[in-house]
Amino acid sequence: MSILIQSFLNGICSGSIYGLIALSLSLLFGVMKIINFAHGAFLMMAMYFTLWICRYLGLHPQLTLLIVPPSMFAVGYLTQRFLIKSIYEKETAREPIGVLIFTTGLWIFLDSLFLLFAGPDAQVIKHGYVNQTLVLGDFIFSYTQIFGLLFSVLVGFAFFLFLKKTKTGRAIRATGQDREAASVIGVNSYRIYDISFGIGMAILGAAGALLLPLYSVYPFVGDVFGMRAFVIVVLGGMGSLSGAFWGGLIIGLIESVGAQFLPATFTEALILIIFLIILYFKPSGLFGLESE
Amino acid sequence: MSPRTEWIRGIIILVVLSLLPLIFQNPYTMSILILLFLYAYFALSWNILGGIAGQLSLGHSAYVGIGAYTSTVLFLQWGISPWIGMIVGAIFAAFAAILIGFPCFKLRGAYFSLATLAAAMILQIIVENTNNLLGGPRGLEITLLKDAPWQFQYTNKLFYYVIVVLLFFSVIGVTRWILHSRIGYYLNAIKNDQEAAQSLGVNLTRYKSIAAAISAIFTAIGGTFYAQFVLYINPEKIIGTNLSIQLAVMCIIGGRGTILGPILGAVLLVVSAELLHLYMGGKMIGLDIMLYGIILMTVIRFEPQGIYVLIRKFFNRFTRSTSPFRDGRSS
Repeated sequence: MSILIQSFLNGICSGSIYGLIALSLSLLFGVMKIINFAHGAFLMMAMYFTLWICRYLGLHPQLTLLIVPPSMFAVGYLTQRFLIKSIYEKETAREPIGVLIFTTGLWIFLDSLFLLFAGPDAQVIKHGYVNQTLVLGDFIFSYTQIFGLLFSVLVGFAFFLFLKKTKTGRAIRATGQDREAASVIGVNSYRIYDISFGIGMAILGAAGALLLPLYSVYPFVGDVFGMRAFVIVVLGGMGSLSGAFWGGLIIGLIESVGAQFLPATFTEALILIIFLIILYFKPSGLFGLESE
Repeated sequence: MSPRTEWIRGIIILVVLSLLPLIFQNPYTMSILILLFLYAYFALSWNILGGIAGQLSLGHSAYVGIGAYTSTVLFLQWGISPWIGMIVGAIFAAFAAILIGFPCFKLRGAYFSLATLAAAMILQIIVENTNNLLGGPRGLEITLLKDAPWQFQYTNKLFYYVIVVLLFFSVIGVTRWILHSRIGYYLNAIKNDQEAAQSLGVNLTRYKSIAAAISAIFTAIGGTFYAQFVLYINPEKIIGTNLSIQLAVMCIIGGRGTILGPILGAVLLVVSAELLHLYMGGKMIGLDIMLYGIILMTVIRFEPQGIYVLIRKFFNRFTRSTSPFRDGRSS
């Protein structure tokens, strides 16, 4: 029984980081209607950034959270501004298919770029902090798990406040709801797109930095997490940011509790099967506000 | 074009195709030639769903896998000829295509790509975990029989060349038939504006299912061919996401919805990959995939309809009257 509770708690910890990944995807996919298939590849990039900063600058893994998200913001901002924007301008559809194809190209490009320069091997952070554990009664947690949970909740909460309270946040929501109407009231929608993409990538950067001490990084690590992020966004409901966070927790729980009963690869299949079932029976998601 | 010039063109193509094996006599170049036709065939098969119907499938490797594994398992377990297995695999693939597509045929764009991607991943996981029947992650080897045409095996590569050329022309024939039939017009309408097509009474689920099934049947047949040609299959190579993306990329960069476009895309990718292998050897793994990514991004950035449309625009500038390319309509 205590093993089950332990796996339940582990699931919540990793689920909160998945929630963060899904939150960043949801901002792009749900709110801004940018279909970013390169999401997992960007996460992989953030994880490599974290690894290299730890390894070559000798920084404490927690301190990478000060460097990785801002640099990922820059990556996202520039990608949207110089690569995706021009494709977006050409298309009038609400969910442009050109962006989907373009980001697919970006995905396989980044995957093989990192395969070429970082090599195919799985790599981990070597730092004393990674192995520290916390014992609470019958349960054992690693510090990185607890820190991941707390920090993701904090980032998620800060992000909600940002969307609700700040001018830029309101402009993002307005552009997401109606691009033309937002332009009419004086929102520079393309600038908002650049900023949103940047913020999405910054959140993803934070998730990558939190994830790395728990997982190893290799060039195709993003494929698994990227697909999972799409599953979570659809599960949580398109455009529902809180849904993305709850969806993340559910997937984290399925993964860790499921692993007690099934081989690890089958939980992966189970998650994908749940995804297809949700698409079929409730495409608006479990926490969705509007039906698509 | 008059029927007469059509005949002449057909004869020229036949003569060229029968001369090609004479030029490429050594087994290595012959293999590349066969793979070239096979990939063009795959790209054209993907095109029926992804190009003509506009449903961007990122899970076509699932059908390649179904075709390859069905014929191979039937052959290894019960000694059934892969020719029969090919047909059984095609039927399985058609059902799978409808089953996978059904949940999201009413939804738009990205959902379909995601669902197909997920479905292929599920299949790969299942195959990798079924060790006894499907060989698990290590895959299956097909017993070498040397010259056994009834068991879809032959030492002379010319055998495979003739089959792949026939397959290639059959998919072209079906594509042309679709383009000029009622189904083709419905699919084109769905591609351009799904809601408008639906409001005019086009049954979305029905026509998307037809396109998906036809596309899957051809892809699965190609899968069986691949298995018999290489005589070894494994889940990562044959059901993996990479193959799905490759099939989509070939068609997209060449020109979605046309006939010459996917062929052009396949030639471009296969030739560039082979050249990279030739000059780089095994040093730079992933360089070919990286190149695909760059080509894909460039094409979408400058001519979203593909290279074929770009070439046609270029030629139209010189020959103002009629275009020398007639096959297929660009969307």
